[in-house]
Amino acid sequence: MKLTVALPKGRLFEASHKALRAAGLELPTIAGERELWARGDATDLILLRNGDVPVYVELGIADLGVVGKDNLEESGRDLYEPVDLGFGACRLSLIRRPGDAGPIRRVASKYPGITERWLRARGLAADVIKLHGNVELAAVTGLADAVVDVVETGTTLRKAGLEEREVILRSTARLVVNKTALKLKAERLRPLIARLRQAAKSARS
Amino acid sequence: MRPEGTRVYLGEEARRREALLGALARLFDEAGYAPVEVPALEAQDPAHPLYARAFKLVDKTGEVLMLRSEFTTALAKALLAEGRARREGRYRYAGRLWLREATAEVGRLREFTQVGVELVGVSSPEADAELLALAYRALEAAGVGRAVIEVGLPSFVHDLLEAARLPAEDCEALRRAVDRKAVPELADLLDRFGVTGRVRQAILALPDLYGGPEVLAEAERVALSERAKLDLAWLAEVRRRVSEVPMIFDFGMARRFDYYTGLTFRAYTPDFGLPLLGGGRYDGGLLPFAAGFALGLERLMEAAA
Repeated sequence: MKLTVALPKGRLFEASHKALRAAGLELPTIAGERELWARGDATDLILLRNGDVPVYVELGIADLGVVGKDNLEESGRDLYEPVDLGFGACRLSLIRRPGDAGPIRRVASKYPGITERWLRARGLAADVIKLHGNVELAAVTGLADAVVDVVETGTTLRKAGLEEREVILRSTARLVVNKTALKLKAERLRPLIARLRQAAKSARS
Repeated sequence: MRPEGTRVYLGEEARRREALLGALARLFDEAGYAPVEVPALEAQDPAHPLYARAFKLVDKTGEVLMLRSEFTTALAKALLAEGRARREGRYRYAGRLWLREATAEVGRLREFTQVGVELVGVSSPEADAELLALAYRALEAAGVGRAVIEVGLPSFVHDLLEAARLPAEDCEALRRAVDRKAVPELADLLDRFGVTGRVRQAILALPDLYGGPEVLAEAERVALSERAKLDLAWLAEVRRRVSEVPMIFDFGMARRFDYYTGLTFRAYTPDFGLPLLGGGRYDGGLLPFAAGFALGLERLMEAAA
């Protein structure tokens, strides 16, 4: 019973790979970041952009994957998310220039879905602009009067002279599983989930 | 320009679709299910389970109409109007449905075709067994190999969440976490809502109540309500009658827009990520006694290819 695993490139890759191996999943070795996929005896591996993991898993191209809760929420995909892996902690926050107190009319973000839902929940009517990087620049240059972006330590923000106003979502890496795969490949997935939960639990305490 | 999520079928593909529709119609017909046709135009109804996602049109009177988005509700309304709601009847349907859903992906069109049956006017393990066996034979007829049917009982999640006595909003947050099997979130939510003791333990067990026959014993330990216990006994009786159908279980299934009251089921096949069929019993929801299932033609074609 072969499994296909989708892992995100970038900051979550190392920790995801390590966590899955430690939980007993044999993963093929990846030569470097430029590799896109690797075949193994029992497990195939595909490497994706963080935000692309949910769609591969929902449609069953991959049986399971690792993705940050921020990207998972943004995707709105129908998946199982049985384990909080604990690493990759960050928060999505509303960020403005110090002293800005006027109404928010335009928000820039890499997470337009989460941003729109948050605005709606607050009863705020603002336009959302989807950006692909260096989101803080939107606030600095006045493209938007607020941005919603990932904050890890807050250093980048302070350097840009911006202020974190409110945490919208706290994120960590999640194990996500395709709905069909969990049922039909339970023999391999159930024990893996149990071991990952155990490991996450002992890491927390 | 063709609207998003619609498709043209030509040549060999169109023939294969027609052949599959024909094979399913014959199978259901031989099992005693008579054909029904219902209109594609429906009156607007905010209580419709797919109300928000259905296409709307404006009638010449200015009233809003909906494009058919689901057969079960349409058929139930037709039977109520014709005074046949209480009479035992076996019906089959096939036709197009429309949903405004934005993305068109594998087997996920905005205009799609469903084939299905409803068994009306009876409520018994025997009737459910008849439907499960027929669903399995339909998958065989469609050429889907190694299909497995998964059975769930909505009373499990529903009654346990009710036992927690929470406001509707909190209940909905718990339901969502159970449905996504998000155990860490579920534990946090239960802490935050102050749910303790046996109810907490039982709710936390729900996401992992899936698998082969071994979960039935576990489910019996978790079943707190009288109804959940009766549903389990009912399910045992259904299983006894259809031992030929490969069956798995998930008592943590908790979808949101459901009229189902009794046993529900889906079908999976290896190497295809999406369910091929869905159905269940909805006594008292739309009709006094009824159950049925539907298959998605496009998904079936994709999975059998």
